[in-house]
Amino acid sequence: MKGEKKFLAGLAAVAEAAKLADVDVISSFPIRPYTGLMVDLSQKVANGELDAEFIHADGEHAQLSICHGASAAGARTMTGSSGVGVTYAFETYSPISGGRCPVQMVIANRTLDPPGDFGSEHSDVLCARDQGWIMGWAETPQEAFDNTLIYYRLGEDPRVSLPQFNCQDGYFVSHIPGEVVIPEKSLVDEFLPPYKPAKPLDPQKPYGHGPQIYSDQGPILQLQRAILMDKAKEIIPEVLDSFNKIFGRKYPSYIEDYNPNDADVCLFINGAHSQTARYAIANLKKQGVNLALCKLRFVRPWTTDEIAEVLSHYKVVGVVETNNSFGISREAGVFTPEVAATLYNLPEKKRPILISFMAGLGGEAIRLDDFYFMAKKLTDIADRKKIKKPVYWIGFEEE
Amino acid sequence: MSDNTVTLEPISSLVEAPLEEQYVPGHRTCAGCGPALAYRLIAKAAGENTIFIGPTGCMYVANTSYLCVPWTVPWIHAQITNGAGIASGIEAAYQAMIRKGKYKGRFPNIIVMGGDGGTTDIGLQALSGAMYRNHDILVISYDNESYANTGIQVSPMTPYGGATSFTPPGAKIPEANKLWPKDITAMIYYGHPMVKYVAQASIGYPVDLMNKVRKALNKKGATFIHVHTACPKGWRFEASRTIEMAKLAIQTGMWINYEIDEGKKKVDHMPREMKPVDEYMKAQGRFNHLQAKHIQKIQNFVNSKVAEARPVAARTV
Repeated sequence: MKGEKKFLAGLAAVAEAAKLADVDVISSFPIRPYTGLMVDLSQKVANGELDAEFIHADGEHAQLSICHGASAAGARTMTGSSGVGVTYAFETYSPISGGRCPVQMVIANRTLDPPGDFGSEHSDVLCARDQGWIMGWAETPQEAFDNTLIYYRLGEDPRVSLPQFNCQDGYFVSHIPGEVVIPEKSLVDEFLPPYKPAKPLDPQKPYGHGPQIYSDQGPILQLQRAILMDKAKEIIPEVLDSFNKIFGRKYPSYIEDYNPNDADVCLFINGAHSQTARYAIANLKKQGVNLALCKLRFVRPWTTDEIAEVLSHYKVVGVVETNNSFGISREAGVFTPEVAATLYNLPEKKRPILISFMAGLGGEAIRLDDFYFMAKKLTDIADRKKIKKPVYWIGFEEE
Repeated sequence: MSDNTVTLEPISSLVEAPLEEQYVPGHRTCAGCGPALAYRLIAKAAGENTIFIGPTGCMYVANTSYLCVPWTVPWIHAQITNGAGIASGIEAAYQAMIRKGKYKGRFPNIIVMGGDGGTTDIGLQALSGAMYRNHDILVISYDNESYANTGIQVSPMTPYGGATSFTPPGAKIPEANKLWPKDITAMIYYGHPMVKYVAQASIGYPVDLMNKVRKALNKKGATFIHVHTACPKGWRFEASRTIEMAKLAIQTGMWINYEIDEGKKKVDHMPREMKPVDEYMKAQGRFNHLQAKHIQKIQNFVNSKVAEARPVAARTV
């Protein structure tokens, strides 16, 4: 890949991408750890490197409201948050996606209160997984940079026109620098056309946005919103192909099937901890243990068929849950029921055994030892073809 | 801020007002609706280069139905919480898009039409934020003194003694609402140093209302107008008496029209002789339960408000 190499943390990488995307309106409010994004963006605006309105919002709810209005008027927008900031803005998410406003919200994950905890847990933004937004995680600062451009292109596509949660783990990605290749502006322009909404709020072309309906009009409108997610699913490969071609990358569209050692057990994972898992896989190989990794690139839309196809090649799948959903089925996190539903209709012979690992909660690191533990559980089950426990809480298990 | 705007001339009388309507028939507000009349006058004054933001409230629920809207200009729904937030974003977008050559056209009038709840209560933070940041927008609070669309519940603008479905009178609480309304106009002006223009207006004085709207829109920066909009359903009077009730509010001192224009305060339409508030109370079912001592309390409150306003009264009627 051609371009200037820089050593940047995840949020700084997103700020560079926002500059190249020529964002028009930015709305900020401080909360750790995402704040660094706005520190960088405000400096770029102050320096005159980025010509944008930088709005100091009166809270996260206002951040999103400002982006809603700006996006409806035809501006490219960026905002962001972490933890309880993400949940404070909750009311605005459905109106923004229902209004087809492709706002981009950068999330650096943080555990929800209580107690006060700065660490990265995915529960904050996963609360909003049903709100009609595109959602996915970056594993590295480079991927955070790339996702920023990919999400704008996907979200602003007139066939989709949906907002995006551009997520990265707090600290693990947001604050740990890595190598980021910053491409030429001309390449970014080739990939990302200017944002042109079909029906902007413009006195020259008056439209009413968001009127009341009666309940008999509800089903068709909800069906249309569901179809938008299907559309997004459909055009993700097109967007990724274009990105890979222009920038010389090799991103798979939906899910990365990383299986260098021909393993028959795999971890199903998203976000920063995939990095540690890759080291664990290399180390385990030396000990004669084969483990694979299936990394989710998009949580919304959830690409059922593609995920089922990848997972059907494994005997045992362990879902790494870095989120909490108290009282949920199978008593793990939110991904386990989704993966279970994804696999349910596979023929029995192709359907892997499914277990869960509650790991990295509260933002604790998932260490190499923790991944070795997971590998042992998965290979044991593969050998015995029986599960002892459906859920393991990492750090609390005796064996 | 964008210089790419049009100056709106003052309107000398009702017959001189523009014939063009931007708020047109086809809605389903109540007979005698004060806020609907305010909307028509405000839209008329603003003209076609306008974007309305409609936070949830009567003027959302009763104006839009079956995916239809009664505006000839762009309109966007906002939550009851965030009318001024969405307006801030629209304004920022136009500032950026015009500056960057992404929009070819004039900077629009951006007007939030929020109810008293959506501006003085649940929408207050968004309003204060927008005023503090001095976005080039106009926020209107159309005040019918309750959450009316949901069936008349108390708001911070409900008068002391006003009965609502959340403040019913009873043996224990004979006066119904025990609280006094917020002074939102003063709060906006004195609490937000960048704001150049605020006003109070009434549908009983339509030319004054339209001119205040034009004055506000001609300012660069955030402006606020608090419009008293009588509500037959909520206040319990006959639908044919809306304008009478609006004027009676001015005549008794229950409402005071004024403006503060870059530091200069001017009170409009203040009568030389005030009518007793009792006359206003007797005309509305929401005050039926009040005892003489409660009405006296209200009279005392109004007297002090009038005494404060009278020295700067410009026009008396």
